[in-house]
Amino acid sequence: MTEPPQPDPGARPPHRRLGDTPVLILFLLPALFILAVAQFLPLAQSLWISLHDWVLARSPVMGAFVGPGNYTRVLGDAQFLASTGFTLSLALASTVLSMALGLGLAVLTTGEGFRMKLSRTLLLLPMVIAPVAVGTMWRMILAARVGPLNQTLASAGLPAPNWFGDPVLAQVSLIVIDAWQWTPFVMIVLAAALTSLPAEVIRAAEVDGAGRWTTFRLIVFPLILPVVLLVAMFRLIDALMTLDIVFTTTGGGPGFATQTLSFWIYQQGLRYFNVSYAAAASWLLLAACMAMAAGFLVWRHRVMHWQRWER
Amino acid sequence: MTTAGPPGVGASAAGRAARGLLILLALAVALGPFAVLFLNSLRPADDFLRPGAGLVPDAITFAHYAEVFGPGSDTLRFLANSLIITTATTVMAVSLGALAAYALARLRLPFRLSLVIGLAFLVVRFYPKITVALPYYLIMRDLGWLDTHAAVILAHVSITVPFVVWLLLGFFEELPREIELSAMLDGCGPVRRFVQIVLPLSAPALGAAAVLTAFLSWNEFLMASSVASDAAKTLPVRVSSFITDKGTAWGPMSAMGTVIVLPVMLFALVTQRWLARGLTAGAVKG
Repeated sequence: MTEPPQPDPGARPPHRRLGDTPVLILFLLPALFILAVAQFLPLAQSLWISLHDWVLARSPVMGAFVGPGNYTRVLGDAQFLASTGFTLSLALASTVLSMALGLGLAVLTTGEGFRMKLSRTLLLLPMVIAPVAVGTMWRMILAARVGPLNQTLASAGLPAPNWFGDPVLAQVSLIVIDAWQWTPFVMIVLAAALTSLPAEVIRAAEVDGAGRWTTFRLIVFPLILPVVLLVAMFRLIDALMTLDIVFTTTGGGPGFATQTLSFWIYQQGLRYFNVSYAAAASWLLLAACMAMAAGFLVWRHRVMHWQRWER
Repeated sequence: MTTAGPPGVGASAAGRAARGLLILLALAVALGPFAVLFLNSLRPADDFLRPGAGLVPDAITFAHYAEVFGPGSDTLRFLANSLIITTATTVMAVSLGALAAYALARLRLPFRLSLVIGLAFLVVRFYPKITVALPYYLIMRDLGWLDTHAAVILAHVSITVPFVVWLLLGFFEELPREIELSAMLDGCGPVRRFVQIVLPLSAPALGAAAVLTAFLSWNEFLMASSVASDAAKTLPVRVSSFITDKGTAWGPMSAMGTVIVLPVMLFALVTQRWLARGLTAGAVKG
């Protein structure tokens, strides 16, 4: 998020001319209308439904108002709590892993030479393909008997575990798959941040005798820290919403070990049609995502404020 | 930039070699799964279960593609759906998003309304779409739009238009206003200024927005799977149901996966400059 545009107090901007404003407002309306109809109306409806009793399989219309009843039921549901736990571990582990690898790759592939540019483009590919396809690929790689990973392990005389058969291994696998897909996102944004750094600052530090690691730690990293925090926020929030890869890898199993919150809510709402129950759970997830985003933005604001003050 | 490599690595010859090796390792990890998918789509069915089968199949067969596209299969229909929905979403999201972004960049509404509207576009990026999916399904049911292209396209436009707006907003704000100003003094209205001056200058940003939108729509699973059950079903939804209804049919599954992945890979390589720009701007600004 960039800072809001600062109006230039000196110049009298062209839009102040009479007659422009109505036309520009008309420009704004179609996009806002679509957002209102397809995002904000369903959001509000979801909140409203979450306060009522409604099982779509039993009744096509919404039932009685129950207030926070669904929320207290959800919070006491062992499956909801278990999937919350897994979602949090997945989000944290995948974020940390992809941040570390992505920063490393961004640093490694810095440079405008042909080979570096090609490397960056090729390293980008995991993030541009459909998550459901990513799941399909990894399901094959990790397949217990026919997967290339286990065949390699077996031919090297190593144990070949059943990756999706064991709860913990399945959870670790999903973390790795999610990090594999989104490490390029971290890489590409941080690479852009590194490229935009003023070369003189780094050169000056090196002239002053600072080693490369010292330069990175004391100059480069603090300079890109606001971007790092922003990327970490996006990674964390996106990972909290993980859904697609669960469908094409474990299907939530074994048992319920790899149900993410989004997956569990999807099953509750769109498969079993426990509409109001799912809506309540989805609002709890939404609140968590918003809280995380707000926390990160405040943190980033403090860092940037502190950096300005330091200078 | 001509700085001698990144800070921290590559100073000496040994450092350069280590750096090259690490990049090669990363490339292998990033691209290996693609190779597995493509090679498995060409692998004969009996080669899958053969103990000690290597990464490269012994023989090559197109039988899985024949099965996936063969008579009685719906793949071509779903492929057409994906193409229609992605194209319509991209055209709508980019044109409506460009209009909105231009308005936001040039309007100064009272009560900080511009900021509020900008944040309304931004906030879509921050909440789980599962919260929207269920009531969206109910709304489409009430409208009688279930399983139509329009229902999927509307959902996709609403998800992608915020990316377009935030990507273009930054761009429009940095456009020099002198040309627009002098055009205005010549009596040129906002519509003509937008179409004849702003849009031609924005071709790279519009391209980045279009590429990003196309990727998001082509890959989107949740909204499409909530409202499209057959007639408007897209490829990602089809892929997700592959396991349950066919057991583990590795060959056809790989062929199907290749159909959805390969076009995007090629598209990504062709549009790489716009893509990187769209991904970074979309992420950092939106």
